[in-house]
Amino acid sequence: MRKFFVLLAAVAVLGVAKELVVYTYDSFVSWGPAQAIKERFEAMFPDVRLTWVAVGDSSEMLARLIAELRLGATQADVFLGLADVELPRALANEVFLPYDPAKIPNLADVPPELLFDPTGHVLPYDHGYVTFVYDSESLPLELVPKSLDDLLRSELRGKIIITDPRTSSPGLSFLLWTIAHYGEGWLDYWRRLIPNLLTITKGWSEAYDLFLAGEAPIVLSYSTDTAYSYIEHGSLRYRVITPDGEAYRQVEGMGIVRTTKEPELAHAFLNLVLSPEIQELIPTTQWMFPVNARAKLPAGYEYAVIPEKPVSLDPELVGAKLEEWLDLWQKLLIGG
Amino acid sequence: MAFFIPLVNVLLLGVREDGRWTFTRLRTIVATPYVRHLFSFTALQAFLSTLLSFVLGFPLGWFLTRYSFPGKRVAQALTLAPFVLPPITVALGFFLFFGHTGYLNSALKSLFGLAEPPLRILYSLWAIVLAHAFYNAPVFARFIHAGWSSLDPAWEEACAVLGVSRTRAFLTVTLPLLLPAIFSAAALVFVLCFLSFAIPLSLGGARYATVEVAVYLYARVYLDFQSASALGLLEMLITLGLAYLYVRGGALWAGPREGLRPRPTVPFLSHPAHALWLPWLFLSAVFFLGPLGAVVADSLTRPLMGKPPGLGWYKTIFSPEQNPFIGTSPLGSVLVSLEVAGLSTLLAVALGLGVSGALKVLRSRALEAVLMAPMAVSSVVLGLALLLAFHEPPFSHLPGKFALILAHTLIFYPFVVRIVRPLWEGLAPSWVEAARTLGAHRFRAFLTVELPLLSQAVLVAGAFSLALSLGEMTASAMLSQGELVTIPLAIYRFLSARRFGAASAMATLLILLTVAAVAVWEWLGERSLRAYGQA
Repeated sequence: MRKFFVLLAAVAVLGVAKELVVYTYDSFVSWGPAQAIKERFEAMFPDVRLTWVAVGDSSEMLARLIAELRLGATQADVFLGLADVELPRALANEVFLPYDPAKIPNLADVPPELLFDPTGHVLPYDHGYVTFVYDSESLPLELVPKSLDDLLRSELRGKIIITDPRTSSPGLSFLLWTIAHYGEGWLDYWRRLIPNLLTITKGWSEAYDLFLAGEAPIVLSYSTDTAYSYIEHGSLRYRVITPDGEAYRQVEGMGIVRTTKEPELAHAFLNLVLSPEIQELIPTTQWMFPVNARAKLPAGYEYAVIPEKPVSLDPELVGAKLEEWLDLWQKLLIGG
Repeated sequence: MAFFIPLVNVLLLGVREDGRWTFTRLRTIVATPYVRHLFSFTALQAFLSTLLSFVLGFPLGWFLTRYSFPGKRVAQALTLAPFVLPPITVALGFFLFFGHTGYLNSALKSLFGLAEPPLRILYSLWAIVLAHAFYNAPVFARFIHAGWSSLDPAWEEACAVLGVSRTRAFLTVTLPLLLPAIFSAAALVFVLCFLSFAIPLSLGGARYATVEVAVYLYARVYLDFQSASALGLLEMLITLGLAYLYVRGGALWAGPREGLRPRPTVPFLSHPAHALWLPWLFLSAVFFLGPLGAVVADSLTRPLMGKPPGLGWYKTIFSPEQNPFIGTSPLGSVLVSLEVAGLSTLLAVALGLGVSGALKVLRSRALEAVLMAPMAVSSVVLGLALLLAFHEPPFSHLPGKFALILAHTLIFYPFVVRIVRPLWEGLAPSWVEAARTLGAHRFRAFLTVELPLLSQAVLVAGAFSLALSLGEMTASAMLSQGELVTIPLAIYRFLSARRFGAASAMATLLILLTVAAVAVWEWLGERSLRAYGQA
């Protein structure tokens, strides 16, 4: 009898011991759709536990995963939250296994232009646009910039807040945007932009908080901001602009970690994240656009802007040149 | 040791390749003009910040030593409040208070009928130095207070009897006796300002960056851990080198002091001349309480769903719907923070006393500086080391909470050492000798004679340790998992979820909690030490 119970306990332990560990960034868990994904996934696979590990932002988590892989041990089976610009680094460090499209039927509903990884390791799950947002109550209408050149107007001296390209993802997107737009002339553009910058903050939260506090009427942020303040606060005070019809596209991706022992479950997870049901949660949790064309957008999202001309640089090019660009940028701003 | 080895391993990444020593990477980095520029700017701002912290902290320490006034314990605890706030909250406090559209400028504008904001403090080198002084002036104040309160008043009384003027007595007697405490504080403040990261970026206005920014860039953006480690190593050599000089400098003046009586305090405003303090008190209150008050005000005024919030943000942070935003209930994060801070403080004080005792016997100033390493190391490097340390046995078996307590103990014990050392060094050996002559065991002599004489230092050290642990970010973020979320982490998560009002409410809670925890600690400490003295 006793033996039987021991056996039963062992079976029970083995039965729930299956686990899929997903590394992601903290806000995907704290205010993103992580909980809903977990519930759905565990309903589909009752004997598997889905565990989110999210103790930092996207670049911290990627650095952690790469450090762990180099040390020879990670518990992660899937990484979710790879910024498109990080792709070359992730590929160079052999973080991911190639995915098998046959095991991800929902992939059929994702527009091909969003598949940013031609090597077939990383899949997109949402996309968003970095651009400028202004305070319609403090910026006179005639000063609202219609082009990137308009941001250089002398009337905007000290009126723009941006984030640091070295430490924040919208900051990096803006740097890349100016490079895509001005080509060789980007450094000169920045030279003339500096007097108009009130400050460059470490992260997006500080910049946006400063903007809400009224320190400056223009901030670098996301094209869904108006939709956010409309849906959450019923306010249209903060408005999105798309200078020259442009905004820099950010695509976020996910992939299966090279060392996983659960490739089947990992594929099922990717497929679930791409399902219309989960994709429809993206707009009001992530404040990004879903990648599944069948996912419906919520009311209020008519204020979220997809620019006429989305800008993005080839991740391969970014990977090769980023260090050089940041070097030039920080020399220009800080000297030395 | 198990903690120091990964730390050393991470630092050695920068100077070792394929098992061989190599200094090429270090040399290339040092040869880069940009990096040199960073180092010189970082040192300059740290020096200026230390100087300003001293200038603002010294009178505060003096005031606390000399006068008694109602609410002194709370005021004392309040001086540690800036210390616990995450840099992002201090930056917010500064923006809201000193900003162009901030409270101070608005008040001055309406007071004098001005059209333009008169104070343009922010977005300059000045703003960085001021914010650092806001953080660190309390270090000077409390160190000087601890040193001064345990000075024997007999010295100054002798001067008075001999007809030496008070200014002269201060300059020739009191100040030299305080120098060890001052240098000790300066060593810490310099290190803290040198390693500062977010404050120079945000408040400096786009033109300044410290070496930490470069370490971050290498470790997080380029994933070039070798270069990050090389830079981190260089940073540590500089900070520890300077700390060593400070410790040495302070030791020059550390003479044994005979006899000890409690220093009498004077009730504040018992003499008309005390009124001279009032303008200074007013300015200090504006400077220290302004940014704190701005955060509190923000939590009470930031619109919630387009309406004035009242206590709405506080209700929000205690409603279970918000739990997903931070990974636990806010109350849970309060309990985690208190538990971690309480236990790590007790451990850090014990470890700090042990190390101080060992240093008293060993007398190695170099070792003394090296033992400050956990504080003098870049937070990015520390994060990597923690990741390594807690990834392998024995630490990987520790439940997360104990890992965090252990990490905090190791990061904060240098604070305890820095406070206790100068005072212990100054204790006249005759006390212990007398106790031992009377047959007391060495440990008993420590407990009954030295410890009570060091009480001021131990209390202040514990208070700092509490505050540091309550506000710590690097280890908390690295070791956080599941429901193990501390208050500063909860603040960050609210901020990144656009719950700015909730973040301010949480920060206010952190301020109140710190003041309460420190006040209770000092009250309990004084009581038990007094009871001990009578026994």
